[in-house]
Amino acid sequence: MAQCTIRGAAIRGVVSAVPSRRFDNFADAKGFSEDEVRKVVGMAGVKSRHMAGDSVCSSDLCQAAAEDLLARIGWERDSIDALIMVTQSPDYLLPSTACLLQSKLGLSTACAAFDVGLGCSGYPYGLYLGALMISGGGISRALVLHGETPARFADESDRSVSLLFGDAGSATALEAGGPGGEPSWAFVLHSDGSGFEDLIIPGGGFRDRFPEDRRRHCVSMNGANIFNFSIKRVPAIIQDTLALAGLGKDDIDYFILHQSNQFIMRHLAKKMGIAESRMPLTLGEFGNTGGPSIPLTMSQGDLTRPADRPLILMLVGYGVGLSWASALIRLGPEAVLGHRELRNQP
Amino acid sequence: MSAVAKSTSEILAWVADVFETPPEKIRPEMKRDEIDAWDSLGILTLIARMDEDFQVLLTEDEIQGLRSVGDIIEVLRRHGQAGGAP
Repeated sequence: MAQCTIRGAAIRGVVSAVPSRRFDNFADAKGFSEDEVRKVVGMAGVKSRHMAGDSVCSSDLCQAAAEDLLARIGWERDSIDALIMVTQSPDYLLPSTACLLQSKLGLSTACAAFDVGLGCSGYPYGLYLGALMISGGGISRALVLHGETPARFADESDRSVSLLFGDAGSATALEAGGPGGEPSWAFVLHSDGSGFEDLIIPGGGFRDRFPEDRRRHCVSMNGANIFNFSIKRVPAIIQDTLALAGLGKDDIDYFILHQSNQFIMRHLAKKMGIAESRMPLTLGEFGNTGGPSIPLTMSQGDLTRPADRPLILMLVGYGVGLSWASALIRLGPEAVLGHRELRNQP
Repeated sequence: MSAVAKSTSEILAWVADVFETPPEKIRPEMKRDEIDAWDSLGILTLIARMDEDFQVLLTEDEIQGLRSVGDIIEVLRRHGQAGGAP
């Protein structure tokens, strides 16, 4: 079973970034009746989204987030030993987006840089890898970048996805803790590829290189199966993570879940007996931005942060793969949380 | 609600409530496309209410097999939630 605790890494800061172009689902949706929009918005909870358009990639959003983060925490570029880019919307099939970002951010050529191809579950996986690299020694500072542009791979005529997705990037700074170490974090990581077709872009990869039907380049989702998967898997992984960490539900300050859909999230909160005030929602403003919705909600979820102790956060990503993962982490009072908008290019 | 298996008429009333349809209009032989609210969003409500009211989690095959009100009754019967009495 892929679960472990890791000691020795701390978060110095998290910055999220979204495109400045804001799309209002009520005012700007085209091709849908008002009733249809009301029904979809009522269920998914997405009132508006920030969309990149054709000019902005997830790497641009992550770069903007990282520049902002580095300025806020004052890290020298050559002090960063590793860059992990978690994305399923890369600039190119090759090379790795992480290599592009190593150069764009002016990081040292002695910096390890690689992509992780996971979506909704990607943030806990990224933190796991970053924390593991730091605890293993040789790496004292790592940037975990996670960005997606799901609005760019949605077919605008597909009602199941077209009003749901927004775009976002994020940057998280991880650093080795001081003498005595940091409290351990707990991770549980799972996968079930038998559901790979439930959320898929079937064309454009090497299985179907040049499909004639353009829609095969767009995402296709079986909403019923994804919902069913979520209500089966998320409560179980939360229980497993709490057991691993030796904590109870009430010890967690916030449950920050991938912002999949308001209906799903409220059902999960009710099912697990978690007050909605402890499960922040940022879907209303940003939509479902894929895995980066977790760091986006850390920065934009109006978290109340005590000055004298770290927040204990249960982060859970679940979806495409199918893949799901949790990270039970501590966010110290000194850690920077920030957010910025990236102006869309003309 | 899950402690005692429901009668068919109780399940029909439950289906009517899930799809916000007058109970007298719901019959076991009704197909999915005869119920307006049983669309791609309605199926999510149905799955959620099965979990909430009966603590029944379906398999993906069971979800794909839900094509009529009778299928809903049958799946609840298989999970011990519908008794079959009128």
